[in-house]
Amino acid sequence: MPSRLIDRRGLLVGAGALGLAGAFATRARAATKVNLGVLRLGSHAPSFIAYERGYLRDEGLDVELKFFEAAQPLAVAVAAGDVDYGVTAMSGGLVSLAEKNAVKVIGGALSEEKGKVGSVVLASNKAWEAGLKSPKDLAGRSFGITTAGSSFHFMAHKIAQAVGIPLSSISLKPLQKLGTLVASLSSGQIDSWAIQQSIAKKMINEGSAKLIGTISDYAPDYQVTTVFTSTANAVDNRDKTKAFIRAYSRAVDDYDAAFVDRTATQAEVDAITRILHTYVSTSSPFEDVRQMLVDDATRINRGLALSMKSVVEQLEWFKAEKMVKDTITAEMLFDTSYVKII
Amino acid sequence: MTELRGNPVAFRGRGFSPRPIAGVGLVVFVVLIVGTELGTRSGWISALTLPRPSAVFATFVDLWKSGLLWVHLVPSLRRILIGGSIGIGIGVSLGVAIGLFGVVRAGMVPLVAALFPIPKIALLPLFVVWFGIDETSKYALIAFGTFTPTVVATFGAVDNVDRGLIRMGQSFGLSWWSIVSKIVLPGAFPGILSGLRVSISIGIILLVAAEMIGAEFGIGSYILEAGALYDLERLFTGVTLLSILGLIVSWVIGGIERRFLDWRG
Repeated sequence: MPSRLIDRRGLLVGAGALGLAGAFATRARAATKVNLGVLRLGSHAPSFIAYERGYLRDEGLDVELKFFEAAQPLAVAVAAGDVDYGVTAMSGGLVSLAEKNAVKVIGGALSEEKGKVGSVVLASNKAWEAGLKSPKDLAGRSFGITTAGSSFHFMAHKIAQAVGIPLSSISLKPLQKLGTLVASLSSGQIDSWAIQQSIAKKMINEGSAKLIGTISDYAPDYQVTTVFTSTANAVDNRDKTKAFIRAYSRAVDDYDAAFVDRTATQAEVDAITRILHTYVSTSSPFEDVRQMLVDDATRINRGLALSMKSVVEQLEWFKAEKMVKDTITAEMLFDTSYVKII
Repeated sequence: MTELRGNPVAFRGRGFSPRPIAGVGLVVFVVLIVGTELGTRSGWISALTLPRPSAVFATFVDLWKSGLLWVHLVPSLRRILIGGSIGIGIGVSLGVAIGLFGVVRAGMVPLVAALFPIPKIALLPLFVVWFGIDETSKYALIAFGTFTPTVVATFGAVDNVDRGLIRMGQSFGLSWWSIVSKIVLPGAFPGILSGLRVSISIGIILLVAAEMIGAEFGIGSYILEAGALYDLERLFTGVTLLSILGLIVSWVIGGIERRFLDWRG
């Protein structure tokens, strides 16, 4: 039936033309296509600010946000080239990917700062009654982590180091997910855990856990999250990567002014909260989200400066714990040519 | 008597009994492994996609030498053994009971059919609340996972026992117990064994899920840790260990079949 064939061909041509038109439209709006990997967490606030306020578009980057559930798959997606930039904790997985020459850390983001609250250490009610009143008492007790090589694992190491007990005397319980960790701590199946203020505050208010310490006392200047990209982007697309860092830094300034330094006006705080509310805790009321952001406010380094001392310490720890190959060097992992080193 | 006439006919009823052919299985493994080794060495397969089989083997040797192999293997084997025994023990008993008693069949078959499709991993948070994060929840998860396929395989096997043989036993005046122990159970045994192949493999699969919760040691936790660290060599070492476990199980059940099921001919 030739008439139907033509119809079908016509449809195809039409679809092709539409597609082309779409492609040209994108072209005209912005020069470079960039995928930014994000998690729906308060710590990813600058990603959403930079996207919604058009800072990335101003730099000629046509950004698409790609949502992930955890840091590890995001690191793998960057290595595979499906995502261009990511901002997450420097996990063991990220280091292993750098060892395969697939990713580079190009900047720093979240930093623990003495005097600011950041993450806190919690004890279960059962362990509290049994005498766990301070992280000094952690020897012989259990401590929840998500997975080996996660930021929780490193925090356990920093606490053990600071109070002078061997990490091996703390029984680490890998429980994979935050939800399981919350349930296990509430029911007293693990003795302790370190977590961001917003989750901790909720548990303390509900009476399901007790506060026993603040991470910034044990790990001051801990560079919690880093900015990373594929080796191809870091080496061959320097202009694109520089543009990304410029745009992201503007959003970081907005975030720090609103929540960490509190120099912004209330209207500005509300405006940023409204942006974040469309991505993070979308089912919670506006006031709760604003309170959560204020509680969780942890400094994000200006200009994405990288705290070399902290990240090298983390790298050495991964090597010492044999979680990554000992052949990996700081040069393989970090590209220090993009941001200020502190 | 008249002489038989016509052409002699060759024996045709050889049946479809599988013949053992030595070495073919090995060749398949060797071809796959050598192909991967060549691919990764030549760069045709990137280091991000697959590890080198030789590097995986080196990791395995390290694991063996450092003694960590047993540290991981022993708790995992214990979990499979205890969890699997509970699940398979209850499963076979219930399966036989379903096969023999109408009331049990009427009551339990719908329940088992309802339990079977539940993904056991989805119940993991519930298992934490019911059984804690220690060994009990791991045994329970594996027991639950091996239970349902065992029940289904067992009552299916009992149902398929030759009715003619049972009728014959009844005609010869055998007691109920004699019929069950001499005709039904031996007749169901091949079906139960092939069901065990499936249920034990499911037990091995669930080992990784069971060790997601609070396990410091075990092959499952070793695999999860390697995944979190994106350490492909360790990941494949762990996966290979699970495969070897599967091969051993298959070999043991094959041995049992050869030993006890000769009479099938």
